[in-house]
Amino acid sequence: MNEAKDTPGQVNDSPATSEYQSKIGKFINALIARITSKEFRNQFYWSFGSILLALVVAAVIMLMGGYDPGTAILYLAVGALSQMDQVFWYASPLILTGLSVALAFRCGLFNIGAEGQLYMGAMAAALVAYLFSLPILLHPLLSLLAGVLVGGFWAFVPGLLKAYRGAHEVVTTMMLSYVAILFTSWLVGPNGPYWDGSMVPQTPEFYDSAILPNIFGNYLHFGFIVAILAVFGVDYLINRTVLGYEMRAVGHNIDAAEYAGIDSKKKVAIALGISGGLSGLAGSTEMLGTYHRFIGNWSPGLGWDGITVAVLGNNSPWGVLAGAIFFGALKAGGNTMHAIAHVPIEMVKVIQGLIVLFIAAPRIIQWLINHGNANKEEIVKKPVKAMPNLLGAFFGLASVFLALGIARSIFTMATVSPWTLISALSLFLVAVASVLVFITQYSRDPRCSPLLLLIAVGWSTAAITFLVGSGGLELTSIIMAVIAFVFWIVMYMLGKNTLRDGEGP
Amino acid sequence: MNQRRFFFIIALVAAIIIGVIGIISMPVQQQQIAGWLVSITMQMATPLVLAGIGGMYSERGGVVNIGLEGIMLMGAFTGAAVTYYFDNPWLGILGSVAAGGLLAAVHGVICVKYKGNHIVSGTGVILFGTGFTTLMLEVVWHQKGRGELITNTIPDIIIPQIQSHPFFGPAFSVISPVVVFMFVLTAISWYILYRTPFGLRLRASGEDPSTLDSAGVSVEWIRVVGVIISGCLAGLGGAYLSIGFGSAFAKEMTAGRGFIALAAMIFGNWTPTGILGAGLFFGFLDGLNYFIQIYFPALLPFSNYIAMLPFLLVVVALGLIRKSVPPKAIAKPYEKEKRA
Repeated sequence: MNEAKDTPGQVNDSPATSEYQSKIGKFINALIARITSKEFRNQFYWSFGSILLALVVAAVIMLMGGYDPGTAILYLAVGALSQMDQVFWYASPLILTGLSVALAFRCGLFNIGAEGQLYMGAMAAALVAYLFSLPILLHPLLSLLAGVLVGGFWAFVPGLLKAYRGAHEVVTTMMLSYVAILFTSWLVGPNGPYWDGSMVPQTPEFYDSAILPNIFGNYLHFGFIVAILAVFGVDYLINRTVLGYEMRAVGHNIDAAEYAGIDSKKKVAIALGISGGLSGLAGSTEMLGTYHRFIGNWSPGLGWDGITVAVLGNNSPWGVLAGAIFFGALKAGGNTMHAIAHVPIEMVKVIQGLIVLFIAAPRIIQWLINHGNANKEEIVKKPVKAMPNLLGAFFGLASVFLALGIARSIFTMATVSPWTLISALSLFLVAVASVLVFITQYSRDPRCSPLLLLIAVGWSTAAITFLVGSGGLELTSIIMAVIAFVFWIVMYMLGKNTLRDGEGP
Repeated sequence: MNQRRFFFIIALVAAIIIGVIGIISMPVQQQQIAGWLVSITMQMATPLVLAGIGGMYSERGGVVNIGLEGIMLMGAFTGAAVTYYFDNPWLGILGSVAAGGLLAAVHGVICVKYKGNHIVSGTGVILFGTGFTTLMLEVVWHQKGRGELITNTIPDIIIPQIQSHPFFGPAFSVISPVVVFMFVLTAISWYILYRTPFGLRLRASGEDPSTLDSAGVSVEWIRVVGVIISGCLAGLGGAYLSIGFGSAFAKEMTAGRGFIALAAMIFGNWTPTGILGAGLFFGFLDGLNYFIQIYFPALLPFSNYIAMLPFLLVVVALGLIRKSVPPKAIAKPYEKEKRA
């Protein structure tokens, strides 16, 4: 804008600024609209609900393994919140592999072999980083570039096979990922050309010029910045470019895309190639930032974690970022959990697997949400009838935990007699029945009263066996049995009333 | 088609007879080596064929089961743990079959009832299987990485009559019942798949579920049963690793065998006999590693390449030689009354 301007110019100026403001306003409005939109909300509920459900099931597993789930989850959270640099450090490769899987997903492809592309990319980056001596700044960039290209190539081949020969990419990428792991571990092993001569299959250390420096703390390196840039880049590629649009079109409906004149085969190959490049980048940043040498079998399953991250983030770049940071927190917190609550670090993997299982079936969460809403309405309308129902559901949940906890503690007792075995067995049955009670009560199914009776009987059997054998937990069992019995009577009466009123099912 | 198959079978039988005659006419020491190679091939093939045929039951019904790796681990762990506690390998087998079936049932319910994405769910099964078994390894044996040695593993069948023969002795005289079961299973599966109503329904639910539905059969039920069978067989395959061939559970001991089983299933074109053939071939490659360790140490540096071969062969076969033809309705959730 010209400074020397007369009044009309200034008049002209104000609409421009208001337009500018309205642009920001528009952006914010669009963002708010997006966040409050139904799809986003549903996705949020699904992701969040899956995490919660996974933690509940993980708590059950911890109980059965003899660990204290309360302490474990507390220190999981504490550990994650107190070590933000570790969280981001763990997250940075996950962001990249997550983006890799998500990008392929948007094109309708499932890149399950991110692990192999990661290895190949890391190998290429490692070779550039320790075989050549290059100026600072140029060296890491070239090294990363090598990683991207080789990783991309490793996925481009299955892309071509998928496009032109119809070989399913899930199978080919998965098989090639094992090839990559075996190949790289041969390269750096005692029989390969790049072994450093030590006991471990690994390359010599990289030149200092190639190493990505730390941003702050002991862990977090510039790979995180690369990952954030990649998020912007992939977001731009998918949502703002022709190629991204065409890839999404192929992913949505390949026939319609073909009809619209998109060369779907080319797009499939390119999408897998870019996806592999991102995985290769993940491996390269890990090499240059964290490991500083290529070690055989170094990856702790980063490619698999990428799948988890992508499905948690609903395959959108920003969702992937959030999902990766969540998993970074899980891993960082997992170390604290291991150190303080003595729960093995593998618990994190279990939680991860459970999250993926629950996310695979959004209808489970949807079922919970729908019945939750219905329960809310019911409580407002007829509190007398709905309250026992809901209380019963929570009783079922509590009963699961108590039964499993007590059953576990029986096994850790010094003396195992037939009595304790009987009580443990009945408690397991109680746990199963309690799960069913929760399901039926929560969905207001009238068939739950016999189950409640079963639970009451189970708890009293446990109490009797505790009294006969050496116990100490009989009081809990008796209380639970009484509560279950009361619930059974209440539900029975309610069921009768419903039948009399003629509003039963 | 039938004539071709007839000739194929005759050629196969002839090849086996000629091969056996050829081996028997060799010097004694080479006969022993050949016998040993046959034996190790069958042993290494067993988990692959069991899991591969399991995967076939699942995929013929229309549910992709890439979680075989996780299910095998689950079976291996449960088999070892139950044998450890009760000191009875048969109970261990029972436990591993049940555990595999249970984990597969979760996958089946998610895929079929809740219409989840089969591959995402399968990934969840793999992650859960590896994490859970490594966690429980520490709980049961209080050790990291490897459980205690199990002394009471599945007893071998010993045939004393042929023990002294230079070829048949090392090949067949000491044979695990699970290995025998592999061959039996192939025959049974062929019969079930092509000669029973259940097999017809299973194939129909994978090829054209709406037809099956209009015939009044529950597609969901058939599919879930298929997935559960796959889990039971994969669990048994895993148990063979921990209490049959080996004698302890180790962290991630399947080492990609679930994926090789998947490869064998694709290589074998989703048919029992094909899977047996592919599984034996991959088992042979696996056994070759042991073979060169003992007889050709010069080739040892390249053992990684031999381990790569099954994976590479599948890629080459899928990409360059022929198109694989999976069941038509695979990975497509079936919604009643919905037009395709």
